[in-house]
Amino acid sequence: MASVPVSHGDQTLWRLPRVRYERMVEKGILDSDDKLELLDGLLVVKEPQGSLHSSALLAAHRELSRAFGRRYIVRPGLPVALDEYSEPESDIAVVPGGPWTNKRRQPAKPLLVVEISMSSRAKDRFVKGGLYARAGIADYWVVNLVEEALEVYREPVRAPSWRYGWKYGSVKLLKRGAKVAPLAAPRSRIRVASLLP
Amino acid sequence: MPPLRRRRWTRVEYDQLVEKGVFGSEDRLELLDGVLVVCEPQGSRHSGVVDLVREALERAFGRGYYVRGDKPMALDPASEPEPDVAVFPGRTRDYLDALPSAPLLVVEVADSSLALDRVRKGGLYARAGIADYWIVNLVDQVVEVYREPVRAPSRRHGWKYGSVKLLKRGAKIAPLAAPRARVRVADLLP
Repeated sequence: MASVPVSHGDQTLWRLPRVRYERMVEKGILDSDDKLELLDGLLVVKEPQGSLHSSALLAAHRELSRAFGRRYIVRPGLPVALDEYSEPESDIAVVPGGPWTNKRRQPAKPLLVVEISMSSRAKDRFVKGGLYARAGIADYWVVNLVEEALEVYREPVRAPSWRYGWKYGSVKLLKRGAKVAPLAAPRSRIRVASLLP
Repeated sequence: MPPLRRRRWTRVEYDQLVEKGVFGSEDRLELLDGVLVVCEPQGSRHSGVVDLVREALERAFGRGYYVRGDKPMALDPASEPEPDVAVFPGRTRDYLDALPSAPLLVVEVADSSLALDRVRKGGLYARAGIADYWIVNLVDQVVEVYREPVRAPSRRHGWKYGSVKLLKRGAKIAPLAAPRARVRVADLLP
């Protein structure tokens, strides 16, 4: 992936490579009350999370831990080494292995990513969706707490008009009564209602 | 596309990033109002004109002034720009241990960066109270002289210059801080 300059009005913003972001974190340059994620080279401030968001995160964590079983780990709100310029902190990222599998480096390509979405909906759909699609994440879910539905994004395809050049070709909106099976755990059925308040 | 709230940096943090080696020497950056901005790549003409400006200002200001080219300065708590040329009181030796601040005159040489230099940097320099700001405009072959910082709530940084003059090749300028010196506009242009 080429380092494309991000122009912002009349100035070109500097894009921070992921390895240097990790160095900043290691050297303690970012203080611990900084809630940040690196999205395509930009350090973006995360929205504060309310109690509804926290509950939805716990629900998704429990359902997905059940669905994927012991050979996978369901990481809540932890960094993902997504690409050369991105280290988002996805609400949920499911990766193979156990708690210590990624002790030396953050995992790169989760089998499933879930974002819990309220005020961050546009960002989750368009910004993170585009980044996840470009990184080849095959299964991306957004728990939409505003409309009380689950959005399931699959089949990353090129989309030159999108910010990052990629989007998801398949988008499904699942209501409370529906069930969903993760692509990487096709025999597990999760009730959408169990992910919603 | 939704706007993303970017993390802003202070100058203290920025200096730490430089010291701890987060940036490499290949990164040409400036900190402008908390945002890390890539410096415009400079052509040979641009850097040649920067040298012309530096030489002309050294002649005009004479001894007792430090004319600094292409190096960072401390502008405000969240800005560390690298103006093309800046003039400070005193001697080079006075500025070995800390970044200089409060320049008497700042000059930017602008071709593709004209909008950035006029609006964004101009606003920042005005807000910081820099009394004399010149842009050597290579596109129109004039020198723009900005003076009298005034509040301007509608501008991004809340400040602008109240007085703007365009000087052509035949004109001369007296720097505010060296009122008896005359700088020929022609000496600043290619």
